[in-house]
Amino acid sequence: MTTIIVLLVFAMFLGGIFTGGYTSRYVKRMEESSIWGWITTVDHKRIGILYLISGGFFFAVGGLEALLIRIQLMFPNAKFLVGDEYNQILSMHGTTMIFLVAMPLLFALMNAVVPLQIGARDVAFPFLNALGFWMYFAGALLLNISWLFGGAPDAGWTSYASLALPDYSPGPGVNYYVLGLQISGIGTLMSGINFLVTIINMRAPGMSYLRLPMFTWATFVTSALILFAFPPLTAGLFMMMFDRLFGSNFFSVTGGGNVIIWEHIFWIFGHPEVYILVLPAFGVFSDVLSNFSKKRIFGYHSMVFALVLIGFLGFMVWLHHMFTVGLGDVANSVFAIATMAISVPTGIKVFNWLFTMWGGRLRFTTAMLYASGFIVTFVMGGVTGIMLAVPPADFQFHDSYFVVAHFHYVILGGTVFGILAGVYYWWPKMFGSLLNEKLGKWNFWTFFLGMHLTFFPQHFLGLFGMPRRVFTWSPGYRLELGNYLSTIGAFLMLIGVIFMVINVLLTLTKGAPAESDPWDGRTLEWTISSPPPEYNFAQLPLVRGVDAWWLEKMEGNEKMTPSEPLGAIHMPNASHLPFVMAVGLFISGFGFVFQTSEVGAIGLIVVIATLFIRSFQEDHGHHIEPLELSEKGVNH
Amino acid sequence: METNVQHQPNQSVSEDRSMKYVLSFVWMLLLTGASFAIVTMHLVPENMVIPALLILAMLQVLLQFFTFMHLDFKKSRLTAVFTFSGIAIGFICAIALWLIS
Repeated sequence: MTTIIVLLVFAMFLGGIFTGGYTSRYVKRMEESSIWGWITTVDHKRIGILYLISGGFFFAVGGLEALLIRIQLMFPNAKFLVGDEYNQILSMHGTTMIFLVAMPLLFALMNAVVPLQIGARDVAFPFLNALGFWMYFAGALLLNISWLFGGAPDAGWTSYASLALPDYSPGPGVNYYVLGLQISGIGTLMSGINFLVTIINMRAPGMSYLRLPMFTWATFVTSALILFAFPPLTAGLFMMMFDRLFGSNFFSVTGGGNVIIWEHIFWIFGHPEVYILVLPAFGVFSDVLSNFSKKRIFGYHSMVFALVLIGFLGFMVWLHHMFTVGLGDVANSVFAIATMAISVPTGIKVFNWLFTMWGGRLRFTTAMLYASGFIVTFVMGGVTGIMLAVPPADFQFHDSYFVVAHFHYVILGGTVFGILAGVYYWWPKMFGSLLNEKLGKWNFWTFFLGMHLTFFPQHFLGLFGMPRRVFTWSPGYRLELGNYLSTIGAFLMLIGVIFMVINVLLTLTKGAPAESDPWDGRTLEWTISSPPPEYNFAQLPLVRGVDAWWLEKMEGNEKMTPSEPLGAIHMPNASHLPFVMAVGLFISGFGFVFQTSEVGAIGLIVVIATLFIRSFQEDHGHHIEPLELSEKGVNH
Repeated sequence: METNVQHQPNQSVSEDRSMKYVLSFVWMLLLTGASFAIVTMHLVPENMVIPALLILAMLQVLLQFFTFMHLDFKKSRLTAVFTFSGIAIGFICAIALWLIS
């Protein structure tokens, strides 16, 4: 408590020294600075960029952890990271990559693109959007600050009970996991609801559900999954929190609790979660493949149907993570069949992507390379998925490197390739310049080959009996070559990522400005300038079919038909409250991690005060008048 | 864009509505307090505790649905679709958990 007050006062002193003292002009100067602008922004495009930056930062952190893991496993009996250190790195790698990298990077793409694709000026709740971002960021910081204070979580990304309970994980590590994920999870839930409402309510005139671009459809289904999947996680984390901090007995066997309940709750959330990760990537690929094949997506209706069906079935299969728990043959068989059923809609999608490319005028840009690489990689991951869905076989594969190979094939080959394809494809729309295609191809080939070199041998390592999560292995079991190749592959992927970073830096410093429609696109985001003006559309467009912009181009129109006269545009006001609320939650979470209820209470008071202020604030937003529009060079 | 796009909403209607939110919030606090009281103060016989808690929880869920989740507006079919698919998924998960444990 005292330490925190001392630190706060010290920070305020430093702040005063570096900003020129707390005079009356201080507040004004602060409000004019660009950092303040980014902190208070409620603009979906800027929030998308914030998500991209923070997701990219944690991608570097998680990737570094992956490299450390591979260095330790390169040779038998290595002493690089032993025991608990390895457990922490391994747990944080999984948690970081899923919750702090994949999800925010997908939210970056959704924020940057979805409102543009449906012809909207912002998301439905811009304030909630900012709050969702800052809560994710507060949770992410809380999780990673564990490296400095008290040790990181070490019970795996699934944090199974009994191992994660105080008896076996006495330090604050798992507290960080519980509270960090709780805070960022609530942020994710908010963003999910926000996108649902946006897509339902803010589509441009004529944009019916069956005219939505595939990425928007994928976002819609994903948001529904978030809506239904995150509450179980929240509930489970609360139970774990009470077990760890306040001595309740939900999961502790000695107190009459049940450890299996945590597994059920976690996977009732966790299985939909993997679809939350991969469905937006499916959406990106659908848009990219159709754009660079110069064809409408093959079987649009079946693609939508497959998305919804995968989303629904995703809730019906969680038990396949628990085949070896011993819940009985009937339960295992039912869930095995449900799991295999998911391969039907997924198969529909794969064939539709292939038929989209079939006979198209293909252009292999970097985004398209990632999309084609994805089809191959994802099908390989899907096939091992079906193998794992067979309970008798799963008893052999369970907890071996075969599983590790499987989920890295689907998550890297699906989600990460999807994010990279999306970044290359929409970069001009987000930043107004094109990424270098030559460096992009180097990036793709090193990353793609590195990914296969890392994870393909791991199938065999698993079949030869190498267990997952264990920090070392013994020589003489035919594991040497596979592990060696796997580590080489990880470094090849590192080279790929370095190409990407160089590409981004080069583009940000010397990139030539991009036109509004650099890829000869098909959907609405390519009808406005890159990057778009603050209000996106001076006049909302009138949508007349699927691939609205392509339709107009084919009829020889230079621009979309407007659906309204030029008028004043209503815009939301920037607000610093989301940031303050996230700071409050961060302080509160940090207090509860160390079971210091006073600090926890201070943080919660900040949160409640902000909630109160926001509830009774009359914030009607502002208007941009048509006169200002023409000054900003809009040619409508 | 947020809900107050209409610039001059009917003042009395909007006040009525916000009163309704405050009221149902108070009711939820009371229901939560009642649940705590039932457990800690032994107000009902031992074997009735769990059913009583479930009934209170059901009441709170209904309150949630009808005030904060706008099931009473009867405007959007999608609200109902989402609510009922949520209930269906929860129901299936609960039945499955009950059958296998």
